[in-house]
Amino acid sequence: MLAIFKREMRAYFTDPLGYVFLAVFLFVCNLNFYLSNLTNFQSDFSPIFLNMILFLTLLIPLMTMRLWSDEKKQKTDQLLLTAPVSTTSVVLGKFSAAMALFLIGLAFTVVYPILVNAKGVLDVGKTVGNYVGIILVAAAYISISLFVSSLTKSQIVSAICSILALALFVGMDLLVNFSTSPILNTIFVFLSLVTRYRNIFIGVLPLSDIFYFISVTGIFLFLTSRVIEKQRWS
Amino acid sequence: MIEVKNLTKKYGSNLAVDNISFHIKKGEIVGFLGPNGAGKSTTMNMITGYLSATGGNATIAGYDVLDEALEARRHVGYLPEQPPLYMDMTVNEYLSFVFDLKKVRHKTKKDHLAEVCKLVDIEHVRHRIIGNLSKGYKQRVGIAQALIGDPDVLILDEPTVGLDPNQIVEIRDMIKGLGRERTIILSTHILPEVSAVCERVLVINKGVIVADGSADQLTAGVSNDIRYIARIEGKTDEVLGILSGIEGVIEAKLQKQVGAVGGDFAITLESEDVRKKIFFAMADREIPILSMQADTVTLEDVFATLTANDSTKLIFDQEEEGNE
Repeated sequence: MLAIFKREMRAYFTDPLGYVFLAVFLFVCNLNFYLSNLTNFQSDFSPIFLNMILFLTLLIPLMTMRLWSDEKKQKTDQLLLTAPVSTTSVVLGKFSAAMALFLIGLAFTVVYPILVNAKGVLDVGKTVGNYVGIILVAAAYISISLFVSSLTKSQIVSAICSILALALFVGMDLLVNFSTSPILNTIFVFLSLVTRYRNIFIGVLPLSDIFYFISVTGIFLFLTSRVIEKQRWS
Repeated sequence: MIEVKNLTKKYGSNLAVDNISFHIKKGEIVGFLGPNGAGKSTTMNMITGYLSATGGNATIAGYDVLDEALEARRHVGYLPEQPPLYMDMTVNEYLSFVFDLKKVRHKTKKDHLAEVCKLVDIEHVRHRIIGNLSKGYKQRVGIAQALIGDPDVLILDEPTVGLDPNQIVEIRDMIKGLGRERTIILSTHILPEVSAVCERVLVINKGVIVADGSADQLTAGVSNDIRYIARIEGKTDEVLGILSGIEGVIEAKLQKQVGAVGGDFAITLESEDVRKKIFFAMADREIPILSMQADTVTLEDVFATLTANDSTKLIFDQEEEGNE
């Protein structure tokens, strides 16, 4: 697992991909901070995180599209799958590398609360809650995109399908408008990320919502390892 | 060391490997020979655990490749048909990654990598990006990758493909050297490679093993005749007349006319000694024999016979000789 993690991290930073991700991520975050906090004299950070949820649906697939698709295309998966390591640990290695890259980006944004705290009143609980929330969301995003990447050899297909999958994941509760079945509606609302994030947004961290994000992450990591394992049986 | 029992692989309704079984002893170098699409790579992928079998099973060093996968894989170094290289890494970074991936414990990384690089002669390119290396060097890095961790079993899928003639000879010698302490399976469709490197040959055609034995056994199995090609300067009828009069000549015919008088004659003999009689018989009539060379059955002939005719099989038991 550590070997995979190290290789993927190295790849992020020898390839421009890692830098591009960090640059775009921080550019959008900074713009948000400037517009919503600095120009409005606002000490509340939650709008930044709400925006992050949206633009990460575009950014995270670009960061994860390579993870499996490229291995399949270059046939380097033959090395990984015949090495004395379990498929699960390979999947976890890749997941943690993508997660680490995101956390590096997120770490830079800690400057904002520090700045606000120096000159104004900071709602520490709400800020910490939002940070925990966005990490959970990113984990779920990465897990879903990693799963999509395991399905195809093409990075472009992987990225586009991941963006669609994440958009569906985020916008699940909008489907309520198109359905008249109460059972379906309950399911849509239950599965929707936005419903889940509403509590976190106002600074509450219900255990059920934390569990929801961890479950989604876990399920898709499991599915990814199943997909990889299934190739042996094709 | 490697035990394969009734291994079968189906892709949909397409039978890629059909119920093959064989046993490979420790220290053997075995060549998998077969035309393109015969099922060589599929078989190798199943032995290494990259693909599962539809039926049957394979064990390496006593471990089942699917049920005790991690243990079995610890014993195998695998070079797939396309070397699994990360083009954006340097040779050093890549091999160091493979070392970590295989969780090699019994050696220090620095020494082991140096040792492997020396063995495949890539020491001078260790700091270069793999994507910029020539095909031959990429192939060597692929072999180096398989050697990391000192596995007892090496499985090499077409190791010399795409190399120049000098490199092919080098790589073959290297494989021979490696085979002193390891069990090696290598696949190829290049026949001289098999006779040069392997002690034992498994010929696969359409997913079935059609021959199993040493290269010598296989050539003998196709034909035991002693055949010579003699270039004799004399009228065809006259030469054939003399030849047919010699005791011990089974068959003689003109193979190719060379010059105004004379040509290449294909002669089948009862024993090698008959050559002397031919020499004296021709000398008596003052017909010069310009050259005489053995026309041995090559693996090409074996291969052609075996793959052209589905019913032909040549299976030699490793202990006792004989056609089945």
